[in-house]
Amino acid sequence: MARPKAKAKSKAKPRAEAKPRANQKPKVEKVIPLHMIPNVESEVIKIGDGRYLQSNEAMFTFYKRSKGEQSPYFLALLEKKRILGARCPKCKLVRVPPFEVYCPDCQFEKLKLLEMPDTGVMNSTPPITYFANSLFAHMVPFGRGRVMLDGADTAIPIHVYTTRGVLTPRVFKKNTPVKVIFRKNRLGKPTDIFAVPLSEVPEKLRAKKGVEEHELDWSQSAEPPVDKPTPESEKSFKSVLAAFQAMSKAVTKSDRAKKDLSGWKRSIQVKTAGGNFLINIGKQNLKVKPGKAKADFVMVANNPKLFEDWMNFRDSLTNAIIAEKLWISKNKEFTTVFKLDRLPRSLRRTLETSELVS
Amino acid sequence: MEEVGIVGADLTPCKGRWVELSYYGLSQLAVKKTLEDAAIDIKDVDAVVYGIYNDIFEYSAIPEHPLHGIIGMANKPGMRVTCGGATGAYAMLAGYTMVKSGLYDTVLCLGVEKATDCFDFDSMTSTPEVIKSIGWSGDTFYERELGWTASDSYAEVVLAYMDEHPKDLSDEVSAEISAILCQQAQNNKYAQRHGEKVTKEMAMNSRYVVYPFKLLETCVYTEGAAGVIFANKEKTISMCKNNGKPPIWITGVGAANEHHVVGKDFRHKVMHRIYSDHLSAQAAYKMAGVTNPLKEVQVIELHDAFIKQLQVTMAEFGFTKLGRSDDLVKEGLMVPGGPILVNPSGGLTYAGHFVGGSNMLSCWSARRELIDKQLRRGMIHGTGSTIAQYGCVMIMERRD
Repeated sequence: MARPKAKAKSKAKPRAEAKPRANQKPKVEKVIPLHMIPNVESEVIKIGDGRYLQSNEAMFTFYKRSKGEQSPYFLALLEKKRILGARCPKCKLVRVPPFEVYCPDCQFEKLKLLEMPDTGVMNSTPPITYFANSLFAHMVPFGRGRVMLDGADTAIPIHVYTTRGVLTPRVFKKNTPVKVIFRKNRLGKPTDIFAVPLSEVPEKLRAKKGVEEHELDWSQSAEPPVDKPTPESEKSFKSVLAAFQAMSKAVTKSDRAKKDLSGWKRSIQVKTAGGNFLINIGKQNLKVKPGKAKADFVMVANNPKLFEDWMNFRDSLTNAIIAEKLWISKNKEFTTVFKLDRLPRSLRRTLETSELVS
Repeated sequence: MEEVGIVGADLTPCKGRWVELSYYGLSQLAVKKTLEDAAIDIKDVDAVVYGIYNDIFEYSAIPEHPLHGIIGMANKPGMRVTCGGATGAYAMLAGYTMVKSGLYDTVLCLGVEKATDCFDFDSMTSTPEVIKSIGWSGDTFYERELGWTASDSYAEVVLAYMDEHPKDLSDEVSAEISAILCQQAQNNKYAQRHGEKVTKEMAMNSRYVVYPFKLLETCVYTEGAAGVIFANKEKTISMCKNNGKPPIWITGVGAANEHHVVGKDFRHKVMHRIYSDHLSAQAAYKMAGVTNPLKEVQVIELHDAFIKQLQVTMAEFGFTKLGRSDDLVKEGLMVPGGPILVNPSGGLTYAGHFVGGSNMLSCWSARRELIDKQLRRGMIHGTGSTIAQYGCVMIMERRD
C-alpha cells in the first residue's frame, strides 16, 4: 500500500500518551487504572462431570517507594531535563543511567556523577512490541531499545519512537543516531524521555538541550486511499465475502474459535479496492455484510485478497499491518486484531481434532 | 565428593490451564508419579527443593509452604529456588549440590507453576495479564515502566545477534525447527500441544508477538508440575536395582548469570551474546570431560523460550558456530536422523513451559531418551531473567 499523504502539521503527542477509554477516565489518575478492576464475583466451571469454583481476585500492594540512591538521575530528568551518568575515577568507565554508587570492578571505588549529552546511537536493533502486557496494551506497537549516549559505556533503556506514523522494523537499526526527547509532563520516571532518529529532528534542535516532545512535528498518517475497483478486485471481494460466510458458519462449530471471541463486541468497517464491508463481532461469532456503516474502527486494505490469505494461513492481520498492507484507525484495536488472528488456527485445530475423532 | 544419580522423574500433563487442579493438587500428582517412577516411598526422601518462579502466579508470597506437608515432607528440610525462567534448572542444581556435598542421601526437586489463573478483564483473556505478571520481573527502576516483557527482552538479544550475523537466523530455518519440534511433541503424551500439527508454512505465516518472534515460534504458557529425584551413589544403585531402570549419572554442571545492564564489554551484558549459556556449558563440559559436544552429546533438552533463541543457544553451546546457527537445519545437525537430538519432548514451545518445572520436564525427557534409546550422554539447560541473563546446564550419562 502506498504511504498516505501526511496531514498538515500538528502537535499531536506520540503514541505512548494514549489515554484510557474516555468514558472511564478518572478525574485523578490512579495507580491501578479503574477500568482494569473486576467486580467481586465467582462462577462455576463445568468440565466433564466435575464442577469447579473460581472467583475474581487481585493481588495488590500499594507503595510509597523511595528511589533512594537512584534519585539524582530521576530528579535531573524531572526538574532539569538533564541526563546523568556516573564515572569511576579509577577505571574511567561511564555508566548511564547511574545505577550504582560504587564501581564493583575497582574495589568499590565511589563513582562521580556527571551530565551526559542527549545524543547517541542505538546499541542494537530494538524490538517492537505488538502483544503487550495488559498495562501497556493501549500503547502498541511500541519500541523499547537501548541507547549508548555519546561518551557512555553502558546503554540506557528507553522507548523509541518515529515521528512519522506507525513504528516498523525498518526505522531503527544498530548505530542509528538518535536524540533523547523529554516529555512536557514529567514524573521522574523512565518514561519522561524517549529517543527519536536524529534524522527526524530539525537541524536547529539537534544541538539544543532538553528538547520537549511538542517541539517536534508529529504529523500522523491519514486514512490511506484505496484504488478504484477493477474486475479483478471486485471478483476477489466477492470471494472474500463468501469465505467470511463460510468462516462464520465454521466458528459456530468450533469451541476454540467461539472462546477466541468470547465476551468481545466490536464493529469494523473494512475498506478495500474491491468494495467495503462490515465485520460485526459479538455473541462468540462474527458476521460480515457488504456496505458502509458507523463502526468502532476502520481497516483499510487495498487488496481484498489479504483477508483470504489470512483465513488460509498464508498471512496474519498483525503481520499485514506491520508490512503496511493493512491500516487500522485505532492502535488499541490491536487487541481485536489478535482475537481475529487466532481464528484460522482455532478452526484448523477443531478440524484436525474432529478428523482424529472420526 | 559423592556421585549423584537420577532415580526417578515424572510430571503431570501440561495444560494451558488446569481448572481441575490448583498448584497444591498439581504438586501432589507430580510427586506421586515421580515416587512411583523411582519405586520409593516419600519416607525415603531426605529433603526437597521447590522450583517455583513467580509468587503472583501462585497468589502467595511463600508458595511452597503449603506444599511441604501435603507431599509428605513434614519435619524435613525444604527450600524454594526462584531464578526466573531458569528456576527449574537452578532448583535441580541446588538438589544436586545437596547430594553431592554428602549432606543428604536422597533429594526431591519439585517444580510447579500456575499461570493462566491470571486474567485480564479488559480483553477478557489471560495472556495480557500473564505477560503483566511476568513483567513485574523486569528492572524496577529503568525497564518495567517501559512495558518490559519477557518476549521483548529476549528479542533484544536475538536482534542484536542478527545485527552481528545478518545472514543467520533466517525465517525459513526457524519455521522448520518449529515444525520439527511439533512433530517430536507427538511422542510426548504429556505435551500441551499433543495432537496439534504445525507446518513450516504455518509457523512462517503466524503473526509476530514481538518482532522478530512469531507466535508459532514462541513457548506456550503452561500450568503443570514435575519432579526429579537425585540420590548418592549407594542409593542410586540400590533404588535403580529395585525400580529396574538404569541409573543416570550427573557428570557435569555449570551455571552463570550475566550483568543486567548492557555495556560495551563483558563487565556488563554484551547484547549480541548469550554469554551465560556459553559459560555454563563450558563449565559443565569441563567437569564432564566433554571436548566436542557435537560428537559426545547425543540428546539435548534445551530451554527454547523462542526458536531463534534456541538457535543462538545451540551456537553458544558449540554445536555450531556463532553466525552459523542455520546449519542446525541446513547441515542437518538437528533434523530427524541428524547427529544431535534436540528437544525430543517438543521443548517448551510444544511440550509446555510451566516455568518452575519446565526444566524438570526437560530432565524427564532427556533421561527417557537415554534409557529408551540407549544413548550415552544427554544435556539439559535453563535460561532466564531479563535479556537471557541466567544460564544453567547439567550433563547426564548412562554408564551401563
